[in-house]
Amino acid sequence: MSPAAQIDDLTFAHPGADLPALEQVSLQIPAGESVALLGPSGAGKTTILALLDGRLHGWRGRVSVLGVPLDPDRPPPRASRPDTGFVFQEFALVERSTVLRNVLNGRLGRMSPLRALLGSPTPHDLEIARTALADCGIADLAERRVDSLSGGQRQRVAIARCLAQEPRLILADEPVSHLDPARAGEVLALLTGAARARGATALFSSHQPDLARRFAQRIIGIRDGRVAFDVPSSELKDEATAALYREAEPLPGLSLRAVS
Amino acid sequence: MGPRGFGGFATSVLIAGAILWSFVTTDVELSRLVSAGPRIADFLGRMFPPDPTVMAEIRKGSAETLRIAILGSLGAVILSIPLGILASETMVSPALYRPVRTLLAFIRAIPLILVAMLMVGAVGLGPLPGIIAVAFHATGMLAKFYAEAIDGVSRAPIAALESAGAGPLVRLRHAIWPQMAPVVARDTIFRFELNLRESLILGIVGAGGIGFYIQTYVRSFQYDKAASVTIAVVVMVIAIEALNVALRRRFA
Repeated sequence: MSPAAQIDDLTFAHPGADLPALEQVSLQIPAGESVALLGPSGAGKTTILALLDGRLHGWRGRVSVLGVPLDPDRPPPRASRPDTGFVFQEFALVERSTVLRNVLNGRLGRMSPLRALLGSPTPHDLEIARTALADCGIADLAERRVDSLSGGQRQRVAIARCLAQEPRLILADEPVSHLDPARAGEVLALLTGAARARGATALFSSHQPDLARRFAQRIIGIRDGRVAFDVPSSELKDEATAALYREAEPLPGLSLRAVS
Repeated sequence: MGPRGFGGFATSVLIAGAILWSFVTTDVELSRLVSAGPRIADFLGRMFPPDPTVMAEIRKGSAETLRIAILGSLGAVILSIPLGILASETMVSPALYRPVRTLLAFIRAIPLILVAMLMVGAVGLGPLPGIIAVAFHATGMLAKFYAEAIDGVSRAPIAALESAGAGPLVRLRHAIWPQMAPVVARDTIFRFELNLRESLILGIVGAGGIGFYIQTYVRSFQYDKAASVTIAVVVMVIAIEALNVALRRRFA
C-alpha cells in the first residue's frame, strides 16, 4: 500500500521570512495509521500540515498526498480536496450558524455545485453529518448555534465537520491544545478512533509527548524545521523528547542576562 | 515660531481670508436683512393656521414617496449585490475592485437631486425618475458597505471551506454570508431611512412624491397648505427615525 503522504527533501520559507520554516524534511505517513507530529511551538508542525493540505506554495522538494503529487506552484484540484480533511487549531467554524450547518459545510466539496450553492443536502449528506455528530458525542447539539458552545464542544464540531467530509487523510493542528488533560484524552481518542473506523489515516500535531505516545502509533519529532526523529511510539525514549524541548544553545555574542 | 506654530497661523489666515472673501463678493445688504424680519413674520402668519383640508394630498403624496423609497431601495440592493462583490478586496483582484470602487465614489459624489433632474429629463415626470434616481444614488453607498461587510468577516471559516473543496461562490454563500448578514441588514435599513428622507423632496424637481405638493403650494402662494404638508414631512421623518432605532435594536 502506498503511504498516505510522502515528503522528500522539502524546504519551505514563509513569504518575507529570512530563515526557512522547514529545511530538508523527508518523512512518510503510513496509510491507515495514527501519526503524531511532536515538537515545541514554532518547530514547523503547522507548516507541514498546511502544506499537506495544499495551502502553501513556493516550496522545494517532492510531496505527494494519497498517491498524488502536489504542485508547488498551484493549489490542488478542487475535486481532490475533500479527500484531505483538516481540523483547524482555532476551529474555523461559522459562529452564527448551527452545529449541523457547520458539519454539513464539510460536505460542500462532495455535493454537486448547485446543491452546494443552495445548501440543500441530500438525505445521504444528512445521514453522514448526523453520524459524524453522533461519533463526536454532540448529536444533541445539532440545532444549537456555534457561538453558544464551549471550547470543547466547538472542537468536537470541528472534528465532526472534518469527518463529514469523508477524508482519507485527516490532518489535525493541535486538536487538543485548548482542552484540559481529561478532555484532551477524550477528544484524541475520538479523533483517532473515528479515523481508524473509517480506514483513514490521522496525522495530528501536539506538543504533549504523553498524549502523542498514547494515541499515535508513530511519532515524528520536529525541531527547528527539521525531523529530529521518526519512531514507533513504543520506542520513543524520554531522552529523545527531552532533547526535542531543550532550550536552544545561546548564540555566540548574546549575553547570558538576555537569555535568562 | 516653530514650524507647527507657523502652520497654525497660516491656517487661521486662510480661514479668515475665505470668510472675508465670501462677505465682500456676495454683496450682503444689511438693509435687506433688516427688512426681512417683518416679511418672514408675514410668511409665518400666512402659514398659520395650517390648512387641514389637504389631508388627501398628504396621504397620496406620502404614499408615493414611500413607494419611491421602497422600490428605489430594492433597486439599490439588487445593484449593490454584484457591485459589492466586485468592490471587495477579498473576492476579486485589485485590477477589478479598484476601478469598481472609483466608480462607486463617483456615483456617491453626484447629489440625488441632480440625478433626479436628469432622470425627469430622460423618462418624464412622475415617480419613475424618482425610483431610478434613488436606486442609482443609493448604490454608491450601499455597494461600498456590502464590500466592507464581505471584507470584514473572519477569514478562518472561509479557509476551512476552501480546504473542504468549496468554490468561491459556495464559500461566499456558506462562510461569508452567515457572518455578514446582520451587517447587511443594518446597512440596508440605514440606507432605506436615508432614501425615504431624501425622496421627500424629489417632487420639487418633478420626480414624484410629497415634495410635489410643497412646491405647488409655495408657488401658488397657498402657504397654509404648504405648512400642513411640511408638518406631515416632519412627522414622517421623526416616525422613520423611531422605526429605524427600533429595527437597529432588533438587529444589534
